[in-house]
Amino acid sequence: MIATLLRIVLRRLLAAVPILVLVSMMLFGILRLLPVDPAAMSVPPNATREEIETVRRDMGLDRPIPEQYVRWALTLLRGDFGTSIHYRKPVGPLLAETLPATIELALAALVVAGFLGIGGGLGLFHVRGTWKAAVGDLGSTALMSIPSFLWAIILILIFAVAFRAMPVAGRLDMAFARPPGTGFLLLDAILAGRLDLLASAAKHLVLPAFALGLSFSPPIMRVLRSGLHDVYAEDYIRQARLRGLDEGRILIGHAARNAMLPTATLLGVQFGFLFGGTLLVEVLFSFPGMGGLMVEAVRNTDLPVIQAIGLTYCLVVLAVNAVTDIVCLLLDPRLRAN
Amino acid sequence: MRARAAWRSGRVRIGGILVAIVLVAGILAPWLAPHDPEAQDLLALLLPPAWAPGGQAAFPLGTDTLGRCVLSRLIWGARVALYVAILASLGAMILGGVLGHVAGYFGGWVDRLISRAVDVWMSFPPVVLSLVLMVGLGVGINNVVLAIILVDWTRFCRVLRADVLTVMNRDYVTAARLAGFGHVQTIWREVLPATLPLLATLVSLEMGMAVVVEAILSVVGMSVEANVPAWGVMIADSRQAMYQAPWNLILPMVAILVAVLGFNLLGDGLRLALDARQSGARAEAP
Repeated sequence: MIATLLRIVLRRLLAAVPILVLVSMMLFGILRLLPVDPAAMSVPPNATREEIETVRRDMGLDRPIPEQYVRWALTLLRGDFGTSIHYRKPVGPLLAETLPATIELALAALVVAGFLGIGGGLGLFHVRGTWKAAVGDLGSTALMSIPSFLWAIILILIFAVAFRAMPVAGRLDMAFARPPGTGFLLLDAILAGRLDLLASAAKHLVLPAFALGLSFSPPIMRVLRSGLHDVYAEDYIRQARLRGLDEGRILIGHAARNAMLPTATLLGVQFGFLFGGTLLVEVLFSFPGMGGLMVEAVRNTDLPVIQAIGLTYCLVVLAVNAVTDIVCLLLDPRLRAN
Repeated sequence: MRARAAWRSGRVRIGGILVAIVLVAGILAPWLAPHDPEAQDLLALLLPPAWAPGGQAAFPLGTDTLGRCVLSRLIWGARVALYVAILASLGAMILGGVLGHVAGYFGGWVDRLISRAVDVWMSFPPVVLSLVLMVGLGVGINNVVLAIILVDWTRFCRVLRADVLTVMNRDYVTAARLAGFGHVQTIWREVLPATLPLLATLVSLEMGMAVVVEAILSVVGMSVEANVPAWGVMIADSRQAMYQAPWNLILPMVAILVAVLGFNLLGDGLRLALDARQSGARAEAP
């Protein structure tokens, strides 16, 4: 039994490897379309033609593109992400600094989206068949039309411009120094036993997390509601009614559990969008994560940084997709059979 | 049931009206806009809307940080949004639709190849891929269109492939093949009419998506040329002055919401109408 499960998990993880390789080739290929010359950009403006040529040779840019790709991939495998042209620093530490912030934001947003989505889905299902359902439906379409970056601006306008009630920049108040540790601020603050730090970090996290979570809750609401519709057509719901259980218990105890499976799958799929969505929300909230670094790199055409961050985004998405698949397999014995 | 149908068309109607507003503004921009959208009046910076204290009748919705007429920029922005939305969604539809039909129709290794390509594409968060594409292609409105097509064709491909697979089981497709129709003819005459409603729905939703992507790229400064009055550019420009002039930020956001909500309602309405036709029995269920 455990051996079978392990084999399934292993096979699922292995399936992601060729995709990751293709993704990295694509990323590399697109960035080579670029009309600018990274070698010329990484030398002072008064450099001579010969100096630029030397740099080009040092960076391996005189080689054919497939060879450049192989070189890049090999250094990546050694854990070396290259050197930023703009910061003149290795990319690895830059990533290590910003990735935890982005993951923390994405997870917080997932929690918000999960609560709003599941609550909303149960609510939408509860009012089915009444005029409220039409209103709710229209409302969820309206919610779906507001992308996360607009939520970010709306929240900034409300909480910073109109009421000046919440901080809208960074991860901590200026007065605090970042605590050493994992880079996950909430966790680090708890580990250090600093409640003031925890409060400040949480306060900075709330609005960005809501901006992302609000925009990702409508699809969850809808999938949960249609999942409940399907489950309510099953015999065991009628059985439960015949046994005299009240509607609330049927909904929560019997139906919701089974309707959660497609919802969990969707949460996994949506995570990719959500994780990408952090990019702009980070920029708008000056949140020091990967998104901010990426946009900075894009403005400076800092190819090594763009490549490394792009690949990291894909890696996280692939990993989350694999984990979602595995969790679904564990949850649903029917899927495991084949 | 009749009430449901009326309500259903009501959704299409609201969406249609919202889209029509944007369409009229975009098409009639040169006649509707009171000013040149790029004309700067440095004596009238950051004016509030005309009805607010300090507003001027010449600038009904006020001016931005360079003294440009906000109303005129909004109206011309509709044209930019429509240009991007229509071209990008049609392009994505053609690319994704053709590949989706080919994958679903032929199956086998063709299907596996195309589906694998979709998998690779889908592992990029859309925002990240479009940003990387804009780095490779360079800024400009046509490159925005191209980037959206290259990112979003997978939406069409994946959904249409699944739809084609169900259509392929129908007897009339087999009949067409037996009657000596070629592959292209079968797809064009027998399969496409069955997938067309879904295609229309996806195009409508994609138009809303394109408006959002353009705005996102504008906010990070990787979208249209600097002299194109796009809604996203207006948001990006007015962020610095949001404490003095929040209306400059709110108005283009409202414009984006109107357009996206319109396209989404339209697409949703079409989907519901289509759903009822395909499975009338299920629509009766609670």
